[in-house]
Formats: sequence, C-alpha cells, structure tokens
Amino acid sequence: MIRRLRQKFWTTKPTRSFGGDLAVLLFIAAAAAFSALPLVYAISNAFKPLNELFLWPPQFFVRNPTMANFYDLLVLMSSSWVPFSRYLVNTLVITLGGTVGHVVLASLAAYALAKHDFPGSKWMFSVVVLSLMFAKQVTAIPNYLITSVLGLVDTHWAIILPAWAMSLGLFLMKQFIEAMIPDALLESARIEGASEWTIFWKIVMPNVRPGWLTLIILSFQALWGETGGQFIYSEQLKTLPYALSQIVSGGIARAGVAAAVGVIMMILPITVFVINQSKVIETMGASGIK
Amino acid sequence: MKRKRLTLTQQRSLTGYLFTLPFIIGFILFFLAPFVQSVVFSLNHLRIVTGGYELIYNNWENYKHALFVDTNFLPTFTQTLLNMLLDVPAIVFFSFFAALLLNQKFKGRLLARSIFFLPVILSSGVIAGLEASDYMANMMRETANVATSFLSGPALTEFLMQMKIPRELLMYVVNVVDRIPEIIRASGIQILIFLAGLQSISPSLYEAARVEGASGWQTFWLITIPVLSPTILANVVYSIIDSFLAPTNDLVNYIRSTAFGGAGFGIGTAMGVMYFAAVAVILAIVVGIISRYVVYQD
Repeated sequence: MIRRLRQKFWTTKPTRSFGGDLAVLLFIAAAAAFSALPLVYAISNAFKPLNELFLWPPQFFVRNPTMANFYDLLVLMSSSWVPFSRYLVNTLVITLGGTVGHVVLASLAAYALAKHDFPGSKWMFSVVVLSLMFAKQVTAIPNYLITSVLGLVDTHWAIILPAWAMSLGLFLMKQFIEAMIPDALLESARIEGASEWTIFWKIVMPNVRPGWLTLIILSFQALWGETGGQFIYSEQLKTLPYALSQIVSGGIARAGVAAAVGVIMMILPITVFVINQSKVIETMGASGIK
Repeated sequence: MKRKRLTLTQQRSLTGYLFTLPFIIGFILFFLAPFVQSVVFSLNHLRIVTGGYELIYNNWENYKHALFVDTNFLPTFTQTLLNMLLDVPAIVFFSFFAALLLNQKFKGRLLARSIFFLPVILSSGVIAGLEASDYMANMMRETANVATSFLSGPALTEFLMQMKIPRELLMYVVNVVDRIPEIIRASGIQILIFLAGLQSISPSLYEAARVEGASGWQTFWLITIPVLSPTILANVVYSIIDSFLAPTNDLVNYIRSTAFGGAGFGIGTAMGVMYFAAVAVILAIVVGIISRYVVYQD
C-alpha cells in the first residue's frame, strides 16, 4: 500500500528509503506551513464581515464569509476621480514595459560581458556589481535631479527606464550564461556563419531559459508594487498600488477594504509565478549540446 | 579611399561594446551618476536656496558627525553587519536544500514551489504595509518564534554543551534556530535562482554519470555542485545584498530617517556611503574566497 502510494507520488522511481521520504516530506510541509499561513490568513480576512475583523481574540478563519469588503472597494473605486481601470493599465504598462526591456537589455549586456573579452569588460562588470549594493534611499535626491534633467518627471518613463538598467538582472544573467553556455557551442555557430545577433537569440537565450524566466519574476515583483510616488504627480498616470494605498490609509474603518486590497494585489503575481514556473519545468531535457 | 578592415578581435570587441551599450547608458544615467552625486553630497553641507540648492564643502564634517556625534549610528551599524553574517550562510544552505527537494519529480511540486515563493509576494509593497499594521499577522510571527524557541531554549543549549561542541559553533546554531521563520521568509528568491540553475544542468551529464556507474552521492558532488557553483556564488551575493538593503533593515531605516528629516541629507548620505563601503569590502572578501572554487564552462 505504502509502496504503491510512493510510486504514485514520485513520478520517477524512488531511490530513497521510506524514512528518507518521510523526513523530506515533513521538512517540505513544515517550511511550507511557515510560508503559507500568512496567505491563508490574509484571504480569510478579506471575506470577514467587519465585526469578525475586530473580534477579540482574533480568529484565524472566517466564520460568516461575505463579499462585502470587495463590494465596498468597488464603491470606493467608482467614486474616485480616475476610474479603477486607469490605475490598473498604468501599473501594467510600467510592469510589462520595465520587465521586457530589463530582461532583453540585461541579457544582451550579460552575453557580451560573459563571452566577449573586450577591453574594459572586466571593469564594467565590477562597477555593475558594486552598484548592486547602494541603497535607493541614499541616491533618492540625485536620482530625482537626473530624472528631472532628462524631462522624465511625471511620465511612466521615469520608472520604466531605470528599471531597464537594474544591475541585478545583468549580474544574474551573466552568472547563468557563464555557467550554462560552453564556448564550443558558440564557436560552432560562428563557423556555421551565424551572426552574433542570431547566436544571442537562437542559442544563448533558449539555453538559459530558466535564468531569464526567473529574472522575469524578479522584475515583475519589483515593478508591480511600484507606487511611483516621487516621480508621478498627475492623477491619471498614477499606479494601482498608489491608489490602493490611498484607500487603505483611510484608517480603521477601512480595515475590511484593506484586506480585500491585499488579496487583489496578490492575485496577479501569484498567477504570473505559477505560469512562469510551469514553463521552467518544461525546459528539462531541451538542452543544446549532446 | 579604401576602408580599413577590422581584425577579428576588433570585430569581437565591437559586438561586445554594441551589446553592452544600451544597458550601460541606462546604468550610467540612473545609477552611476546619482551615486557619484551622492558622494559629493556627503562631503558637503547642502543648503536649499531659491531656485535650487547650494553646496558648501565642509571637510568630512558629515562623516565625523555620523561616527562621533550620532549615538545610534555605530551600534546599529555593527548589529546590522552581525545579523547579516549570521543570516546569509543559513539562507543559502536552506534555499539550496529546498531547491534540491523542489527540483525532484513529484506530484504537486508546482504548488510546493509556489508556496515557497509566497513570502516574497507577501513582503512586497502595499501588502507588506497591510501586514505590518495587522495585529493577527504580528501575533503569528510571535507564535512562530515561540515554536522555534524551545529548540534554542536552555535545555537544548545545555544538551549541546555536554556534547563538547565548540562554543562559537553552538552559539551560531542557537542563533540560527531562533531566526528560522525569518530565514524561510527571506529564501524565496534564492530558491528560485537555485531551481533555475538546477534546471539548466544538461541531463546528458547525469546520463553519462549513470552509465559510468556513479552513485547518487558521487553524482551530487561531481556534477551538481561544480555545475551549480556559479549559481551558488550568485546566490551568496544576492543574499548579502538582499539582507543589506531589505526595507526591514534597521540601518537602512535609520539612514533614511536621518537623510529625510533627522540630522540632514548630507549626514544621511555620509552614512550611506560608509555603509556601502563596508558592504563592498565584505562582498569582495566573500566573492574572492568563493570564486576560487567556482567552475565555469569554457
């Protein structure tokens, strides 16, 4: 019985002892519980009526689930000056524009730095790594000055363009390309007459697919929560997190709405993550060199 | 006039420059330039005048103030560095172990992966703000701490002491156990990076090893670890930086409050520059040590 279950669970033949399996499962379950509890609680909160939200002692699970919080949120949103969809579109523009640009530019630069030994390449890479360590808070004022000189203040570019040049992406992609792409592969492509541009798109990128899929998540995650506070002043350009945080800051009476906001903000990142990771798993076995 | 043809190396260099150019331009504008300006700010007294600001050079006064006048800066600084040294090895080991498990083929592993990534989603932006103000969320954090504290309690310490484990190692273990919930929460992205690394290992390597009759143990040490070593390095660097720049980091918060409201922007940037220098030195040492063992494809 146990053996049958185990064979069903592990898609491949189990190589561990039963005790080993049990230990592994317990470990995963314990760590997963730590990670998942806050989410379960947040979702349960969003469906609580106001009286349950303020119940003492607080209850973990909702008893009389209600959609009232979401309904209130809709009412609040529809009475705002700019329609809800506008905020959503703004955030999507920033998130998608920033992520695509960042992944492409960082990978291009990473390929060049990893596989082309040109004068100054080592130096360039060390400066990029050093810049990883600088706290945003400290450069806030100079950053604003430069954005303003470039005439980007109060446009979405003020957030999208800096996202393109985030150093983390370059660093990660360089590590992946160095680890996964043998020079022999590139050399044989060059002998076949492939241009560098073709090599990049047809050989390098497909082979480091798990790398850039991961980078997409990182970049998405960073931009999705962007409030754009210091750069964007026009109401019609503001982002969803900004609008939602304004609603939440309405105080204790908005506790129910705030819980609903939390759940809504989580839906897209979780969806993107699940789709993205199912693509990572598919890459298994699609490797280039035999 | 005939155009001079480029040599092969020159051509290669040219592609190198062309490919890096778009990124580097953005990088110089949005990171390097603000950074240089911050360093300039940290050496000057910043005064707002009509139509802009004025800089008055004040001979390292900001640094002196941060180091010798400010009573909170140095203790927070050392505490933050110590926490980082404790957390990073634990985070890297935990996420490596978790990634190895999550990379195996079993039913529901996509769900398992998603669960491990949840803390990253929960700790960002608006959601984090909600969590912080929520009583129950705080209480759960407390409960989690109590749940692990029995492990680090006096009984365990006593028991381990009798086992003649070196004191330093013991204190490290006890501290790490105390911080398990935080470590799990901080590992989401590292797990992903490791998973991506594991996924990129060519299956033919494992096949070859199996044909040669290598055991699972040998395969792990002779294939997984060396091929994954650049990813391990990447993750160590990422964890160090993540712990240094986390919004929950006390020192970052202190620098922010000093720069915008406290003792002034000049002193805040001076603290920021010193912090940066300290991280840079630590990172250089760590990377220097690990790089010796890293194996690259060539």
